[in-house]
Amino acid sequence: MKKVLIASLLAALPSMTAAQQTSVDFNGIWGAAPLPPATKPGQSIRWLLPLKGVDPDGTDVFKGLDRWQVNNRAAAPNKPEYKPELLAKVQELSEKQGVLDPAFYCKPQGVPRMGPPSQIVQTPGQVVFLYGASNLFRVIPTDGRPHRADADPSYMGDSIGRFEGNTLVVDVTTFNDDTWLGSDGYFHTEKMHVVERLTRSGDTLSYTATVEDPDVLAKPWTTTPRQLKLSTSQADALLEAPPCVEHDAPHIVTLDHH
Amino acid sequence: MNLQKLAVLAIVGVVLAGTPARAHHSFAAEFDISKPVTLQGVVTKVEWVNPHVYIFLDVKEASGKVTPWSLSTLGPAGIRRAGVTRASFGQGQQVTVLAYHAKDGSNFGFMRRMTFADGHTVELWLGDDEAKK
Repeated sequence: MKKVLIASLLAALPSMTAAQQTSVDFNGIWGAAPLPPATKPGQSIRWLLPLKGVDPDGTDVFKGLDRWQVNNRAAAPNKPEYKPELLAKVQELSEKQGVLDPAFYCKPQGVPRMGPPSQIVQTPGQVVFLYGASNLFRVIPTDGRPHRADADPSYMGDSIGRFEGNTLVVDVTTFNDDTWLGSDGYFHTEKMHVVERLTRSGDTLSYTATVEDPDVLAKPWTTTPRQLKLSTSQADALLEAPPCVEHDAPHIVTLDHH
Repeated sequence: MNLQKLAVLAIVGVVLAGTPARAHHSFAAEFDISKPVTLQGVVTKVEWVNPHVYIFLDVKEASGKVTPWSLSTLGPAGIRRAGVTRASFGQGQQVTVLAYHAKDGSNFGFMRRMTFADGHTVELWLGDDEAKK
């Protein structure tokens, strides 16, 4: 009986396709920034969020922050391209971002705006993405199963993974439309389809996401690749992030935004 | 005040690499930079939450009336990287706060600096010292 079981297990192994197996280890904490020590009780602290050219004692501090962020994004070369008839809508959402951006109300930024995971846990047949800044997770089967038919549309969608050489490819569908692709009014529909590619080269992980949404995007959009270093320090272990508690919304009186 | 307490820790240019950006409200949409207020009171609560840390202050007026104020500061991940923790905000202590008043006139402000009874200060702000006029 035992022999039969072992034989059948051995027979089953080769049936795992290359896309379901990998010799590449994606486990680890990726892109951590070391946490500096806390200051001592009674120690004076002065810290300025850097705003080049803005006098900290002047009256331009708040508007300067908005301007700096808006200008930075405007100068970025890689933006999603919307259908011409939707450009006015994107512009309007962007101008009202301060009150309309779903991420302002403690909702998940969702895939792909939330970016790469801060930790990957890889086991046979699945990978788990952990997002340290928001206490969120994604469980991604890599055993060849199809997308779930019973999943409700969600912020992070329904994910299935496969391996292509040293790349983990994650196919994501079943999104709700309550996230944006970025701060500038980049809305999408529930038909959005995202393919994330995580490539390990040495101790670096490269992350991109390609977004298709033929109802609103003129063509698929691929995010600018992000490179993440593998952490080797125990001090980088993920900690519980403070929860998101929204206090500001009732006090917003203008459409200033950043 | 001893020298150690006077020594001001200036950390500029902390790059938040690896910390996924959280969406932040515009401060200009909420607070009036032309309306600084100085508040003296007792810190009743420090709410160490995203996207901004909140400090609650009971302000005692000359008449004896106590008015609760709430104060926003920057985000917890960013200020932790400047060495600031929840304990830095002096829960239960008598403090003096420089803040900028909410545009809607409520007892709410954006805190710039907290000064403690022993004279040490916690200032979390924005800008570029080299641009001072």
